[in-house]
Amino acid sequence: MSNRWWKVLAAATVVVSAAACGGGGSGSDGGPVTLTYAIWDKDQQPAMEKIAQEYTKAHPNVTVKVQLTANKEYWTKLQTAVTGGSAPDVFWMNGPRIGLYAAQGVLQPLDEQISAAGADTAAYPKSLVDLYTFEGKKYGLPKDYDTIGLWYNKTLFDAAGVKHPDATWTWDDLKAAAAKLTDPAKGQYGIAAPADSQANYYNTIFQAGGTVISDDGKKSGFGDPATIEGLKFWVDLIKAGSSPTVQQMSDTEPTQLFSSGKVAMYYGGSWEANGFAKNADLTGKVDVAPLPKGKKQAVVIHGLANVAYAKSKNPEEAADFAVFASGKQAQRIQAEAGAVISAYQGTQDTWVKAHPQFNLQAFIDQVPNSVPLPRSKNTSAWTKHAEDLLLKAWTGEKDVADAAKELAKAVDEELGKEK
Amino acid sequence: MPERVARRTWPVHAVLVVGALVMVAPLVWEFLTSVKSFGESVRVPPTILPGTWDWSNYTKVFHSIPFGEQLLNTVLMTAGRTAGQLLLCSMAAYAFARLAFPGRDVIFMLFLSVLMVPSQLFLIPQYQIMQELGWLNSLQALIVPGVFSAFGTFLLRQFFLSLPKDLEEAAGLDGANPLRIYWHIMLPLARPGLVALGILTVLWSWNDLMWPLVVNNDPEQMTLSAGLATLKGEHFTDYPVLMAGSLLATLPVIVVFIVMQRRVLEGIAFTGSKG
Amino acid sequence: MTTLEEVPVAAPQRAVAGRPARKRLRRREWLWGFAFIAPNGLGLLAFYIWPVFQTLYYSFTEWGAFGGHTWIGAENYVKLVSDPEVSGALKNTLLYAALVLLGVPISLVLAALINTPGLRGAAVYRVLYFLPVVTMPAAVGMVWRWLYNGDIGLINHVLSLVGIEGHHWVADPRFALYATAVVGIWMTVGYNMVIFAAGLKGIPKDLYEAAELDGAGPVRQFFSITLPMLSPTAFFVTVLTSIGALQVFDVIYLMLGSNSAALRNPAIDENQTIVFLFFERAFVDNDKGYAAAIAFVLLLVILLLTIVQFRAQKRWVHYA
Repeated sequence: MSNRWWKVLAAATVVVSAAACGGGGSGSDGGPVTLTYAIWDKDQQPAMEKIAQEYTKAHPNVTVKVQLTANKEYWTKLQTAVTGGSAPDVFWMNGPRIGLYAAQGVLQPLDEQISAAGADTAAYPKSLVDLYTFEGKKYGLPKDYDTIGLWYNKTLFDAAGVKHPDATWTWDDLKAAAAKLTDPAKGQYGIAAPADSQANYYNTIFQAGGTVISDDGKKSGFGDPATIEGLKFWVDLIKAGSSPTVQQMSDTEPTQLFSSGKVAMYYGGSWEANGFAKNADLTGKVDVAPLPKGKKQAVVIHGLANVAYAKSKNPEEAADFAVFASGKQAQRIQAEAGAVISAYQGTQDTWVKAHPQFNLQAFIDQVPNSVPLPRSKNTSAWTKHAEDLLLKAWTGEKDVADAAKELAKAVDEELGKEK
Repeated sequence: MPERVARRTWPVHAVLVVGALVMVAPLVWEFLTSVKSFGESVRVPPTILPGTWDWSNYTKVFHSIPFGEQLLNTVLMTAGRTAGQLLLCSMAAYAFARLAFPGRDVIFMLFLSVLMVPSQLFLIPQYQIMQELGWLNSLQALIVPGVFSAFGTFLLRQFFLSLPKDLEEAAGLDGANPLRIYWHIMLPLARPGLVALGILTVLWSWNDLMWPLVVNNDPEQMTLSAGLATLKGEHFTDYPVLMAGSLLATLPVIVVFIVMQRRVLEGIAFTGSKG
Repeated sequence: MTTLEEVPVAAPQRAVAGRPARKRLRRREWLWGFAFIAPNGLGLLAFYIWPVFQTLYYSFTEWGAFGGHTWIGAENYVKLVSDPEVSGALKNTLLYAALVLLGVPISLVLAALINTPGLRGAAVYRVLYFLPVVTMPAAVGMVWRWLYNGDIGLINHVLSLVGIEGHHWVADPRFALYATAVVGIWMTVGYNMVIFAAGLKGIPKDLYEAAELDGAGPVRQFFSITLPMLSPTAFFVTVLTSIGALQVFDVIYLMLGSNSAALRNPAIDENQTIVFLFFERAFVDNDKGYAAAIAFVLLLVILLLTIVQFRAQKRWVHYA
């Protein structure tokens, strides 16, 4: 408690001294500057705080306050904060939203700071740099990237006498294993098949040779037979009884089912590694393999970027910190914490070694087959339809093909509204 | 005839005990879950008493959300709203009940009309006002709109109307101005009404969810109610921790209620008779 | 207390005072009156009364992603009339309110039982029944969601002991609204019970004594004396409970909401209420114009139902 009071006192001192300065200063005069840095992943908070401290070491007048908001609220709150002109100075950005934020002038272009800092853009995966380039300007440097892997519970596999998954697995191997690992008497299921886009059905859509959004961003691929094949993969697993139903997964989340040994396999991002490593219930029980192959091998790749708020009270410091937080030094700190795969070339090994108990190399090895996360200028306008309609396919209320065709129409309509 | 009474009341007890169990069981289960390990909490069939009493869930709450800050925010919000309402509503109520001024009845009707309107109709503009004042993520955002109340004014006006006029009339003839009459005579007489309004305001403020959820998104500026909603984290629903957090957030009000139960129940009954 | 003696002296003195003086006095009272209502009145004006008109205006606008709104006429209302989500939410809200009203007779019976003459431990019962009222709804929602869990919840476990197979109560579109209504009743029963108990105390005892002499048993006494005498209280409780239930948000948000888009509750689309829909549109989708229109639908519903209840009261409420 005393620590907290001390913080309150410190905050009050800052307010008073800021008032004493008479305000108005942009902070570039070397006076004390406080930046807020908004993130949503609790597992990454320590690394982000360390990066903030490193920055203060180099710039003693700048303090960076890391602000954690749960993922569920993050975007809603960011949007209202932007509307109110009070967004954090620097924050995490993702692919689906960069188009909207850049187009609306919410973000600062960082090209100047990138060249001033001498950052080498070639050190990042090109698809990710492009993801955050809008009308020729770079609005963010990649912070990390993630791919999807097949997490599995070794103990359950061994108990059922099923061979552990490896790089040779196909869809059929997965389905067969899931059936064998299912034991209704114990309330145990082979796999969790929620209607999750990035972790689940986007991957199988690409593996089946389907598309989500055409390359020119004008048409939806949801009605494509191959895409439907990729969607059916999951619904079939539920129908076969190899996965809990949607209702069950709404009551008890798939991660929780997996952690408590009720589910043997789980398609999860590389971002899960840290949480699984820290979870005492899973110690020694869990490993990860590359995704099984459909018609071809494919995995969704996505990465975040650090971006700077255009209306920040300290725009220069904000932009400078945004570049720093994606820079080589920060990426190494992030890599060593092992929370995510750093985007900067040559820092991936540290991440892989951070949790030697898992075969994390599986995530890196899949990168050559990776497909970027589907997006458009206003991604959330059409993903909303996907959430609504596909959920109905997942519960069995609608036939998968019918739902997909209906969805294709709705998505085309939304894409038509984008200019 | 104690024997006859006992014979007549046992079926009543039977019904009331079953009902009381239904009322209390969820809260007991909340507590029992909060002291189980995660593994035990998801076991089928569930254990009733925890195998090992795991109090660490309570410390985990403090690691997951800034609980201390949120508790402080909730206390300050509740105190601010309650003090504000008691003062402002009693002032207005006194004027409506006792003073004659042009337009009084029209203005009172205007006050009453606010009572009819669901709060969602105020929410968006209230939010805009906070935004324009630069008050998002602040204590005053939590407090200020809540200190004005049509309901409180109405409740206290009814109470003032039921009070005898002799004392104030005497004071008025003695040359005391309305401010002195209000402060020295009416307020002391209105204590039961003020207590009732105070209790309702405390309950409403402490438990309010939508407004805090909307205006304060910085976890350190949130109230417990909104903090709990976000504790339901993104990846992992750890029920023992959630239950520990829920219990901690509720405990202060439950303790106050049990300590002051007579007053609270009388206050609630009072609002029923004055409505 | 010397002032009391001065009253008769003072009064005639004032009476003979000239008209201008009286006028001045009245003016002063006006000023005092305005001064007393000004703080609360201006606050209500700024934060409650004006916002209603502002919201009315917003209901005719469309909002951009990051603020700014443009006038679009009645488009929101046109869309709203044919929006299945709105009509569905409206239906759910009415059903929810109707279900929660079932708690009113329960609380009346409980109040009558607790008021049984010579009952020991009535105070303890009162406290226990009132506990859910003081419990934070956010916490209540969380606890009940846990109780309702289809696989590991306590309720299904208890049901299985008596051979009944449970469901995923809050994730199944068929049950979710009923499950939340149970919680709604659980949260309001104690409050209404206390108000009813106070009303019961106000019924003159001699009425019962006379009835007893006439040979009326407790049940007949309940229906011929208690119920009619209590009808004004029952009316008050009914109006208040239904207005509260029509605005339900907290328990729906916590029991039927989901942590992420990927784990949307399959029951939410068919069980959401009007205020939940309002919140989602206004503060999640930032579609504040449409949300404003939805809020007016709610106002309309509440006004209509309240008018109906006031009309109907003539038939069953007896004012002594």
